[in-house]
Amino acid sequence: MIIEGAQVFAAAPDVVWNFLMDAEVLSRVMPGTRDLRQTGDGQYSGKMAVKIGPITAAEFVLAIHLSDMDRPRRYVMNVDANGKLGFTRGVARVTLVPEGAGTRMDYRADLQMGGKIASVGQRLLDLVSRTMLKNGMEALVAEVDRRVAEGSAS
Amino acid sequence: MKPARFEYFAPESRAEALELLAQHEEAKPLAGGQSLVPAMNFRLARPAVLVDLNRIADLAGITVDEGLRIGAMTRQVALERSADVAHLAPLVAEAMPHVAHAPIRNRGTVGGNLAHADPASELPAVMVALGARFRLQSSAGERWVPAEKFFLGLFATLLQPGELLVEIAIPAPAAPSGHAFTEVSRRHGDYALAGAAAAVRLNQHGECVDARVVLFGVADGPWLAVRANDLLLREKPDADRIAAAAESVRADVDPPSDIHASGSYRRHLAGVLTRRVLERAFSRVRVSA
Repeated sequence: MIIEGAQVFAAAPDVVWNFLMDAEVLSRVMPGTRDLRQTGDGQYSGKMAVKIGPITAAEFVLAIHLSDMDRPRRYVMNVDANGKLGFTRGVARVTLVPEGAGTRMDYRADLQMGGKIASVGQRLLDLVSRTMLKNGMEALVAEVDRRVAEGSAS
Repeated sequence: MKPARFEYFAPESRAEALELLAQHEEAKPLAGGQSLVPAMNFRLARPAVLVDLNRIADLAGITVDEGLRIGAMTRQVALERSADVAHLAPLVAEAMPHVAHAPIRNRGTVGGNLAHADPASELPAVMVALGARFRLQSSAGERWVPAEKFFLGLFATLLQPGELLVEIAIPAPAAPSGHAFTEVSRRHGDYALAGAAAAVRLNQHGECVDARVVLFGVADGPWLAVRANDLLLREKPDADRIAAAAESVRADVDPPSDIHASGSYRRHLAGVLTRRVLERAFSRVRVSA
């Protein structure tokens, strides 16, 4: 499944870049993520619990690996999530472009899902991905705004 | 295919059920169990506590007062067969045979269907088209909310933990009005690829005063075609107007893809089904007026 889109942030590309590399920020904005830690250069691991409607028991072990980093312009995010109910693997290409005083982020992700969740919930995967992406992007925008406001206040 | 362990309560009264839901934050209310129980058997859902609503007599039933009052635990089959529903909410009666299969409607409840908020579900769209209102109760009190505010997205509603959908109120149709329902699914009773419900009203000059078209299966919940309504208002609903309304829906929706149908096919369906329900709904006004 391909998911693509764009999001504008009220901060310069190098500021947005730092947020996107920050395990604490990622942990706050990726829906259901907890205990996300940086384990190496561009390497993160943690847990993710997906809660959507009746599906309340989907827990995944999450591994993120960032590659092809060209600060602060583009990078590739490789995500691998495994759990009892299935798996998700994805590669997202992220590009940051200055737009006015802010930054436009373009992303294109190619996701594969399998296991019980994918077979039982096939009909809903697209909507689930969209919902999680929307919630994640809203949280990221709010987090960037909050941190920028804090930074300018101090 | 057996669920994980859970604690089970079968209260006899509404007050007792609301008290149990208030005490156990992790509790799930069990209505007809046609979605929750399969999810539990697949172990996609593992609620620690179930509060079974099936023994609470005053949560079920259809009564007439100006419009219709439907208890949340009313079985879907009761709605399908009710003469009052056929008379006062013919759009509901037209939609019911499309809601899953007969054995599921025997057990499935109206409130369970609505509270579950499946994006391809018929009844949420029908309730939004009819301007229904939902009564939500908790141990702390109650509130009434309009159907179009109730549905927040994918399996998401206004219901808070501890809160129960207890009753649905559907206003009586203000004549001269018309309605229509249609859906496309791979087999009858399957989840619809896309569907549409319409409720329209004309004034004595034959001009449209209200046209609520609601699509389902094309978004994360019932999708009210606001622009289609605007295009039809204060106009005589001729073929050009209806075509413009259908085109606005086709242009505005952004449907999901799955193995059964691509997003672009669903978009095409959304436009076609909008045209069909509007043509049929307006033609029925002329017949009855």
